[in-house]
Amino acid sequence: MRDIAPRERAQTRVLVVDDSTIVRRYMREALERAEFAVEEAFNGVEALEKILAHPFDLLVVDINMPKMDGYTFLRALRRRADAHAAIPALMTSTEAGPQDIDAAEAAGANYYLVKPVSQDDLVLHAKALTGRSP
Amino acid sequence: MNRRDLEHGSVVVTDDDVRRLCEFLYRQTGMMFAQDKRYYIDRRLAERMAATASPSFSSYFAALRANAENEIEHLINSFTVNETYFYREDHQFRCLTQTLLEVIAPKKQPGEPIRIWSVPCSTGEEPYSIALWLLENWESVDKYEIEIIGSDIDTSVLRTAEAGIYGERALHRLPKDLIARYFEKRDDGFYHILPEISRSLQFTRANIVDPAQTALHRNFDVIFCRNILMYFDEASRRLAAENLFDSLVPGGFICLGHTESMSRISALFDACQFADAMVYRRPLESS
Amino acid sequence: MPLLRRGKPDETPPPVETTAALAGELRHPDPERRWSAARRLGDRPGAAEHLAAALTRETEPRVVEAIFTSLARRGGEESAPHLFPLLRSDDAALRNGAIEALQTMPAALAGHIEELLHDLDSDVRIFAVELTRKMPAAPAPVALCRLLDRETHPNVCAAADDVLAEIGSRDAIPHLQRCRDRFATQPFLPFAIATAIETLSRAAH
Repeated sequence: MRDIAPRERAQTRVLVVDDSTIVRRYMREALERAEFAVEEAFNGVEALEKILAHPFDLLVVDINMPKMDGYTFLRALRRRADAHAAIPALMTSTEAGPQDIDAAEAAGANYYLVKPVSQDDLVLHAKALTGRSP
Repeated sequence: MNRRDLEHGSVVVTDDDVRRLCEFLYRQTGMMFAQDKRYYIDRRLAERMAATASPSFSSYFAALRANAENEIEHLINSFTVNETYFYREDHQFRCLTQTLLEVIAPKKQPGEPIRIWSVPCSTGEEPYSIALWLLENWESVDKYEIEIIGSDIDTSVLRTAEAGIYGERALHRLPKDLIARYFEKRDDGFYHILPEISRSLQFTRANIVDPAQTALHRNFDVIFCRNILMYFDEASRRLAAENLFDSLVPGGFICLGHTESMSRISALFDACQFADAMVYRRPLESS
Repeated sequence: MPLLRRGKPDETPPPVETTAALAGELRHPDPERRWSAARRLGDRPGAAEHLAAALTRETEPRVVEAIFTSLARRGGEESAPHLFPLLRSDDAALRNGAIEALQTMPAALAGHIEELLHDLDSDVRIFAVELTRKMPAAPAPVALCRLLDRETHPNVCAAADDVLAEIGSRDAIPHLQRCRDRFATQPFLPFAIATAIETLSRAAH
């Protein structure tokens, strides 16, 4: 009898956008343990390029990055006239005030996590935003 | 992680030194080096440390971060293939005819030329390649007037470009029948591009970091600016990107080298992912 | 033959405008005129104050970018005093634009960095740490190690850890270890410090 390879479950694809290599690694490890497929971008400009090259199911976006910050990136993304415009986005930031959360919502973030983010919280909210069971 | 110390004479370079070097290059240029390229990186680093007479990795790294003697350019140069030849990275020329010109051409008024800028043009292989590619591959080529301008900061390469004489190596990617159509083979074995081609292109001196010079080069539909911006420091890259933006018409396109990205340079342009290439666009005017 | 060579480009220089006139153009309703003025002010002595003032009201992103490019071209002595206050701005684009511009001015940073690393606002301290990333070698890692020894906010420590991983040496390791011990129960920071220590401990001197 022929061996039939098991059909691979399509992985949920996440783009982690942060200019810190250490932060990206931390998030990648947590998300990969939870069986997300992870790609990385250094700032908002690179994130827009990567989104054009591959579809993503979730974005994790920092605010303070060179060339294009997280708010500017999200606003540019939400203005698009294609399917990329609606990708769920989890915003991370060192800021914690209500005006910061309002600003994130106004830019088009779906949720906001204050740094330092625990790996558990990251995965919990990543699953929630992509419709995966916790 | 396995530790593998490299001996370069009496200088030791560790895995993590290399990692820091790669992180610096990644921040600077967006270039990423996979683990399977390690030997290649080690060799290039050893060459540069020897060339700069650096007694240690940390002294080399300090010089690199300060961009002493343009070391960033030298290091990146050592990683990239610098030879110029006809039809280099021709997937971008394919993008030009299959996609970019299909957007640009229909908007032209009768008699309004399509303007293409190759900068830096070096010894002319790139602007001539654009000309030949259009003549060979663009079905609408006879319906439009096309201005191709090649510019460089170095006047000696411009003179070479105007002369239009090339060796076999520069032509190695061209099909033989194309060479026969557009070049005359000389007695000395070199190839001379047809004068009607070389006389149809314009070669000018320009420094893309100087706004006064780029201001003389305006209203381009497409700019090819490949494998130069990544050598500049932060301040020069930004200014060059703005100058190039200014030299484009609204909606005009700019192509960088295939390992380059605007993400380390500027947020001015919109990224466009086409089948053959990633290209950047000056936004159309908002109404 | 569709290829066409026109005459030489028009070499007529643009009309000379005074710095004051260009500064006025920064208020023009047409963003193209503001963009052009912002760019041309880059080589005008004394332009920094006009450029900085424009940042308080400019909404077009490419004009903001051109203003920062011109502020960087004006140099640290003229521009840095206008850029430091932007580290406290509510606008992320202005903060990050100021950081990028200041990173091209190591001489201007040298005299102010300690003050910024001691700022009462932890966000300003985070930005000050980022400023040290591009400073020439010696003093910056030492300043960051001293910061680690006294810092109470984990995000500031994380920022210092990130920069030290890039510019530091083995000398930073004891400071990183003590910091990790102080913040052992924090999410992220122990991971980040372990990563930096691993990198630095194998770095050659």
